[in-house]
Amino acid sequence: MQIMNRIIGITVLAVFLAVPALAGEISLSVAASLRESVTELSDLFQKRTPGVSFKKNFGASGALAKQIESGAPVDLFFAANNEWVEYLIQKRLADEKSAGVFAYNQLVVAGKPGLKVASMQDLVKLNRIAIGSPKSVPAGEYAMTAFKKSGIDKQIEKKLVLAKDVRECLLYADRGEVDASFVYKTDALLLSKHAKILYVVPENLHDRVTYPMVLTVAGSKKPEAVAFIKFLASAEAKAVLTKHGFEVH
Amino acid sequence: MQFAPADIQAILLSAKVGVVATLVALPLGFLAAWLLAFGRFRGKLLLELLFNLPLTLPPVVVGYLLLLLLGSQGLLGRALDTLGITIIFTWKAAVIASVVVGFPLLVRSIRLAMEGIDLQLVQAARSLGAGPLDIILTVILPLSRRGIMAGSSLFFARSLGEFGATIIIAGNMPGVTQTLPLAIYDYASSPRGEGTALLLCVVSVVLSLAVLMLHETILQHKKGG
Amino acid sequence: MELKLQLCKQQGRFQLALELAISGDRIGIFGPSGSGKSTLVSCLAGLNRPDSGRILLDGKPVFDSTARINLAPEKRRIALVFQQHGLFPHLNVRKNLLYGYQRCPVAERRIELAEVAEVLEITDLMGQMPETLSGGQSQRVALGRAILASPRLLLMDEPLSALDDDLRYRIIPYLKLVSERFRIPFVFISHSLLEMRLMAEQVAVLEKGTLTAVMTPEELARQRMGISPSGYINLLELGAPQERQRLLAFPWAGGELLLSGGATAEPGMFELSSKDIILCKRHPDAISARNLLPCTVRNLFETGNKIGVELDCKGGTLVAEIVPDAARELAVTVGSTIWAAIKASAFRRL
Repeated sequence: MQIMNRIIGITVLAVFLAVPALAGEISLSVAASLRESVTELSDLFQKRTPGVSFKKNFGASGALAKQIESGAPVDLFFAANNEWVEYLIQKRLADEKSAGVFAYNQLVVAGKPGLKVASMQDLVKLNRIAIGSPKSVPAGEYAMTAFKKSGIDKQIEKKLVLAKDVRECLLYADRGEVDASFVYKTDALLLSKHAKILYVVPENLHDRVTYPMVLTVAGSKKPEAVAFIKFLASAEAKAVLTKHGFEVH
Repeated sequence: MQFAPADIQAILLSAKVGVVATLVALPLGFLAAWLLAFGRFRGKLLLELLFNLPLTLPPVVVGYLLLLLLGSQGLLGRALDTLGITIIFTWKAAVIASVVVGFPLLVRSIRLAMEGIDLQLVQAARSLGAGPLDIILTVILPLSRRGIMAGSSLFFARSLGEFGATIIIAGNMPGVTQTLPLAIYDYASSPRGEGTALLLCVVSVVLSLAVLMLHETILQHKKGG
Repeated sequence: MELKLQLCKQQGRFQLALELAISGDRIGIFGPSGSGKSTLVSCLAGLNRPDSGRILLDGKPVFDSTARINLAPEKRRIALVFQQHGLFPHLNVRKNLLYGYQRCPVAERRIELAEVAEVLEITDLMGQMPETLSGGQSQRVALGRAILASPRLLLMDEPLSALDDDLRYRIIPYLKLVSERFRIPFVFISHSLLEMRLMAEQVAVLEKGTLTAVMTPEELARQRMGISPSGYINLLELGAPQERQRLLAFPWAGGELLLSGGATAEPGMFELSSKDIILCKRHPDAISARNLLPCTVRNLFETGNKIGVELDCKGGTLVAEIVPDAARELAVTVGSTIWAAIKASAFRRL
């Protein structure tokens, strides 16, 4: 029996090792709102480090965590809240020791210019508000917490349009399909003339928007991935983040 | 594992949208089938292509085109806006999405039934004094009844499963436009939602099977009767 | 009824060009398939539009291309009876019958359901659905439905062609009865000469899209005798028979005819082809034919490459056909006496 298991184990390992992985390819799963900043940083690292290339996947943190759980070959995971990183650590898919904070952000309400939103209560007067689906998008969870804490959650219920990630929220606001949407300050900087930041959500109404980054168990075995995550904690990287509008402390 | 109130709402909303969409599509579908089965006019081919288009287009494309038309920047959207009517991101948009996507199925079924009607019956009716509207009501409608029922059940089943166009013009609004497929999608994106997603899938399958069984029974009845 | 029409219609390769003026209550339109009968019918009914021309019924136009008149079929009051009965499958017999009746303005309704049902003997079928009816029953119901619309004209397009032979000639009496009793003129279209003779008073003959003649059915039959493979069909009304030495003796005209014992012993209409009558100058001493009739020649006519001989046999009329050589040999002339020999097996019940 033991011998059988061993033979099977070795065969499986051999198969996996035999799966062609481009030498020096780092696979990233990144929360949607980090798209531009991570792209810039990975480009930077790639130029400096010969033989290294990146495969990037952007989306909602919950959806990405689910993909990793289902076996997606990812080396680094960037989430928009702690929940999903802790989830993977619990499932023993992520290396706890490598976890660190990548950046911080602020939750804002963006929408049709001319709308007056001076407080959370003012949101109740609007028709439609887009948030990321709380089941898989941290921005949506932050928004829901803010609604609950300001006591408007029941009133706002029927006005909510769920989006699959923060970028889709952005799109809704931009196209004017909703009156306002909950996005991050950094996303709002990308907005075209159709939508404007109407209100910055007070930070006491939700947990601080934190972007943890972590190596997966597979990633922790790749020297390139380890080197990249170290680079991301450097002062140079932090400067890039600040440039994009993120907070680094 | 049980249903949250939002889940029950999703199931009921799917049923409501399905029923309303079927009621809206029936007269339109009957008219379209009648034009294609009995009409002789220039541009009939074009009309035929138009009615069949949603069948081959990806539903998201249909949704996007509808959004361009009915959205706040769209041709009709702006006009409706001035009248104070908003369609998109309401359950009415979900109905429209279902109607457009399922239309070809309905028309096809009714048209087939109409084309099976012996032309001599229509001629006899005319010689006996029946005008065009009279003939539609007393000859064509009764004789295409089975095609209408079969088409309606197929249409309803399609409506229950409508996702692509719905999510684009009606959006994912729990309790308002989140139909069953949208709810399943929401749950399926989340690692913690698998259990409920699966449960809702079962509900979806059961509903579809029930409607399809009805559809088959109607067709079998036609052959046997 | 006075039917006057002139019309041109092009359908694919076929061209119909007709000019017709005919009066009567029992009009026939005769021609082989492809002669344009169906096109004419659909133009008359308003289901098809002639390219040009006029159609007048009793002087009133239902179609006139120059005056831009084209009455819709539902306004023409011309009821149709087809080859396939055309009954509405989703309505029962009663509802089928009343379809045209209900759409006829109350003031113009001349005919009621009970009477029609009685005449056509369909009273017992009222609650049944069309699919349960036999061919003959369906046609009678179709006829009833057409009559009950109180039409000004009944247009019958090969109504008997789909029926079996024996059924066909049993329906004809209904057609005639209905037309007489309810005083509705009809136009009867057929490719069967026999049907024409039994139904129509006047026949318009069509060939390849044009009108070739207007005549009585009798004249038409005699004219066609020479070219028809079955010759001229003598139609004989025979009385109740008696058995005589394994044959049946049917009374006819002033005398009787002997038919083979296989025939049903009932009176009725019988067919006898002109080809089956042999003429003899003198009474033959011994001959196998059981019928030997002394006749007077009433008329002679040429038809095709034959000679038609119209005979008076004790009041009854028979038409025989012989080749011109035989006519000369026997010196057949009008007024001369001659013997007609007919086998007992030559007769057929209609």
